[in-house]
Amino acid sequence: MPEPILKLEEVSKTYRTKGSMFGGRAAGLVKALQCVSLEVLKGEIFGLVGESGSGKTTAGRLIVKLESPESGRVLLNGEVLSTLRGRRLKAYRRRVQMIFQDPYQSLNPQLSIYESVVEPITIHRLAAGRERMERVLSMIQTVGLSPPESFVNRYPHQLSGGQRQRVAIARAMVLEPDFVVADEPTSMLDASYSAKIFNIILEMRKRFGITILFITHSLAAARYLCDRIAVIYRGHLMEVGTAAEVIHHPLHPYTRALIDALPKFGLAEQIPRYNTLLEEERAGVEAVGCPFFMRCRKAHRTQCGREVPGLEPVGPGRFVACFFPGNGGGAGGKGS
Amino acid sequence: MDNGERFDTSRMKRSHWAAHFLEGWSVFIQNPLGKAGVGLLILFGLMAAASVIPPWIDPMYRPMTGVDPEIVRSVGPSLKHWLGTDFMGRDLFSQLLAGARIAFMVGVSAAFMTVVLGTAIGMTAGYMGRTVDTLLMRLADIIMVMPTLLFVLMLAALFGQLNIWTIVLIIGLFRWPGVSRVIRSQTLSLKQRPFIEAARVAGASHLRIIFRHIMPNVLPLSFLYMTFRVTSAITIEAALAFLGFGDPGTVSWGMMLQWVWKTGHMFKAPYWLLPPGICISLITLSFYMLGRAMDEVLDPRLRKEEDA
Amino acid sequence: MNARTAGTGNRNSEAEDLLEVEDLSVGYRTKRGFMRAVDGISFSLKKGRSLGLVGESGCGKTTVGMTLMGLLPPNGEVRGGRILFKGEDLVQKTEEEMQRLRWNEIAMIFQAAMNALNPVQRVEKQIAEAILTHAPDLPEEEALRRVEGLFQMVNLPGERMHDYPHQYSGGMKQRAIIAMALACNPDLIIADEPTTALDVIVQHQILEEIKALQDDLGISLIFISHDISIVADVSHDIGVMYAGQLVEYGSREEVFGDPRHYYTRALLASYPTLAGEKRDLVPIPGETPSLVAPPSGCRFCDRCDAAAEACSLERPDWLEISPTHRVLCARCLSS
Ligand SMILES: Nc1ncnc2c1ncn2[C@@H]1O[C@H](COP(=O)(O)OP(=O)(O)OP(=O)(O)O)[C@@H](O)[C@H]1O
Ligand SMILES: Nc1ncnc2c1ncn2[C@@H]1O[C@H](COP(=O)(O)OP(=O)(O)OP(=O)(O)O)[C@@H](O)[C@H]1O
Ligand code: SF4
Ligand SMILES: [Mg+2]
Ligand SMILES: [Mg+2]
Repeated sequence: MPEPILKLEEVSKTYRTKGSMFGGRAAGLVKALQCVSLEVLKGEIFGLVGESGSGKTTAGRLIVKLESPESGRVLLNGEVLSTLRGRRLKAYRRRVQMIFQDPYQSLNPQLSIYESVVEPITIHRLAAGRERMERVLSMIQTVGLSPPESFVNRYPHQLSGGQRQRVAIARAMVLEPDFVVADEPTSMLDASYSAKIFNIILEMRKRFGITILFITHSLAAARYLCDRIAVIYRGHLMEVGTAAEVIHHPLHPYTRALIDALPKFGLAEQIPRYNTLLEEERAGVEAVGCPFFMRCRKAHRTQCGREVPGLEPVGPGRFVACFFPGNGGGAGGKGS
Repeated sequence: MDNGERFDTSRMKRSHWAAHFLEGWSVFIQNPLGKAGVGLLILFGLMAAASVIPPWIDPMYRPMTGVDPEIVRSVGPSLKHWLGTDFMGRDLFSQLLAGARIAFMVGVSAAFMTVVLGTAIGMTAGYMGRTVDTLLMRLADIIMVMPTLLFVLMLAALFGQLNIWTIVLIIGLFRWPGVSRVIRSQTLSLKQRPFIEAARVAGASHLRIIFRHIMPNVLPLSFLYMTFRVTSAITIEAALAFLGFGDPGTVSWGMMLQWVWKTGHMFKAPYWLLPPGICISLITLSFYMLGRAMDEVLDPRLRKEEDA
Repeated sequence: MNARTAGTGNRNSEAEDLLEVEDLSVGYRTKRGFMRAVDGISFSLKKGRSLGLVGESGCGKTTVGMTLMGLLPPNGEVRGGRILFKGEDLVQKTEEEMQRLRWNEIAMIFQAAMNALNPVQRVEKQIAEAILTHAPDLPEEEALRRVEGLFQMVNLPGERMHDYPHQYSGGMKQRAIIAMALACNPDLIIADEPTTALDVIVQHQILEEIKALQDDLGISLIFISHDISIVADVSHDIGVMYAGQLVEYGSREEVFGDPRHYYTRALLASYPTLAGEKRDLVPIPGETPSLVAPPSGCRFCDRCDAAAEACSLERPDWLEISPTHRVLCARCLSS
């Protein structure tokens, strides 16, 4: 069994939001991540799946140290992130990279493609002169922009979204990092581009043995790319397991609701319906219990409404945070 | 830059800027304000350039020291003196030309200083945030509320006459806060953009981020502010000179006005009073129009980059 | 389910066409030349049915919608073709006539419209105003009552009528937008990517909403999206667009069950699904052609793995696979 390369230990992160003067919103706290623990194994693609605002990006930003956790620890290869400073931080930056969600925003519009991709090498003084150029060109070729010579002198606005995202990938990969956070790299792109990007990511893993945290809101994409998946909801991990198991035998009511909601593409018969989502949110209960309580059809008012279920093992490598995982449960079993 | 035979990055870079510039220029010149502004500025530029001609024709046309030996008082326009002469027989037309040169010198150099200072401080404050930001912005507030003119007057009262470069320096030191505020807020919004974060993740140092990633994106705005600052620098210099605190060794339009006033020709010699007055108004107007037209060019461009 | 699949896309059925688009060409004047964003597309839509337009970004889906609404930007221009709506040609109509049609008969849910709600006006007010501009004689209370009914229709709690848009979640905003589109009882709704910005669960709810409304009210729907799985979910008929052209058109079952055009196939092969065996995704190679100077032959030619020499030279013809399924390809039968 490969050893874990990245570990999150009971990581929490809260954002303070400023009250808006006109909206009448009060200043508040957004609990983006709550007591999240997970391990990513060396060489795997680990999927973090969840809806918008569930804290996926926050987790990624903590890992690349754009943000620091409020409590808990993030460890890469046994090194605690919060202790990194100066030279060791810079060394860390070389080993851990991020691909951002929006290719239209993650490249400096004033830098040419060559300048964008060469920058990390220059910063870390990995190569110079001819060798540096060769490295950049071969990386641009690797991400499928060929011939590279016809791309290096262009500017981001002269590229399509899919091409930009490939430049962003080249920029992250040119350092040959150990670990890459890919934050919804295709959510702004067409399906035809997504497949290309997915294949490049797979290729990168094969070539450089990189470990990847793949953040996505699409279970279908996670199924295709990931070895293991964690489902996150409102900052809580709900379910962790291998991709195949989580998708074909989901145990958590939220995961089941996600699968129910996916467009079935005329294949409705092949996919069971679970019906774990309440039509209307439970009204008038405070959110002290399970984060999914308000929308969970299977919830037990007494237990689920008062206690937060922990992420418990239910099988080898399989974890679920629910008092009634699988078909057991309170109000209803498997959907009609 | 290691440009191999296969491609040449620096040449590309230049053509990138050139393309940007040409595109901006074509929008700019279609704008009536821009057209008028540029037209006026060319006129003033010609005046400044022409200021070397009269002294070369005859030493009596030297704006400061040359006097017409036949005239010892202010007379109206004539063939020999197109705009007339001042109280001691100096040619007004050559003074007016020399004034254009001074106006450009003062305006552009003071504005340049303002903008360099303001951009550097604004970027630093916006990027560093926290204490640095608070300190720099408080400083900006303090300087902003100090009336520049009054302050220069006090300095002049203390140290006697000020040299024209001292005046430029003071204007530069006093007018940056406005620029730095704008640049700071632009930097703040840039700082949130993913490409800055991407640079951080790549391990870029603060200096690198400021100069390589933020500066190229705020420079257009800085240039815009420069045109507005030219206007204010010219007005301040003119006001100082008129109030008698100008550099006595230069002939600026403000100085000319001061001489009219001091020698009591204010209401007697319109040929003397009007030209420098009109010139000051027109040159500030033209820089202002230039700025407004540039604003219109830059604004959609900035927005487009936001969308793209 | 049965009621929906019956008689799918049958062009010979007696129900008359609500909308018939014939050989429509639309373009934009740009600095680089005339961009043919929509090039000779034809389709028809019967009352109560839905047509899904799929295709990648920039293939002209929104342009089709905007042309039907008569809302092309100033540099846009209809270069040919007819749009017969209830037998009248919309292309020939004047702006005033179109204004009368718009919202009353044809409504549109614009791309990213949920961000277009006026943030400083209560939602009920905004919808009531939309009603009142088209029925100025209606008393205001009556309009507000209509709003209440609309809220019920789109499953929004009535007590949230008085809220401001920012107090709504994304899904609620989208529902409000749908309510607004329904405000004047249109016969045709054009929904341009109505769920793209939403989460799967919310998206699912909205799609169910749209389907139910369409069934209940008998509204015809043109549903635009780049996401095939969504289009497959809501539409009876599918039009696959590529580079300004319709390349395959027919009933959902036929187009997705038996795709003939290589682009449709490539699109399906590049799309990850949950059901069935996990298979490799096959991306479509290359880039879309320029619409200013499109290739003379088949536009997909450069990216097609079955392309023959003839494909790049000659414009392919429409080939009828069945009365309800046709394809724009020169070689689609040979495989
Ligand atoms: N800088 C910030 N200040 C305040 N709140 C924030 C900030 N960044 C994120 N949040 C909040 O934290 C929560 C989690 O955000 P996060 O960006 O991690 O979600 P996400 O899962 O990546 O969502 P998406 O799929 O939309 O990208 C959200 O409610 C968000 O509004
Ligand atoms: N006002 C305009 N002027 C010039 N070109 C335009 C204009 N509007 C759209 N286009 C171009 O016309 C083509 C079709 O655009 P359209 O918006 O119809 O595409 P779409 O299929 O809706 O794409 P998306 O999925 O991105 O919304 C695109 O190439 C686009 O760049
Ligand atoms: S713990 Fe209770 S409320 Fe939470 S998901 Fe499980 S059954 Fe539903
Ligand atoms: Mg995110
Ligand atoms: Mg569109």
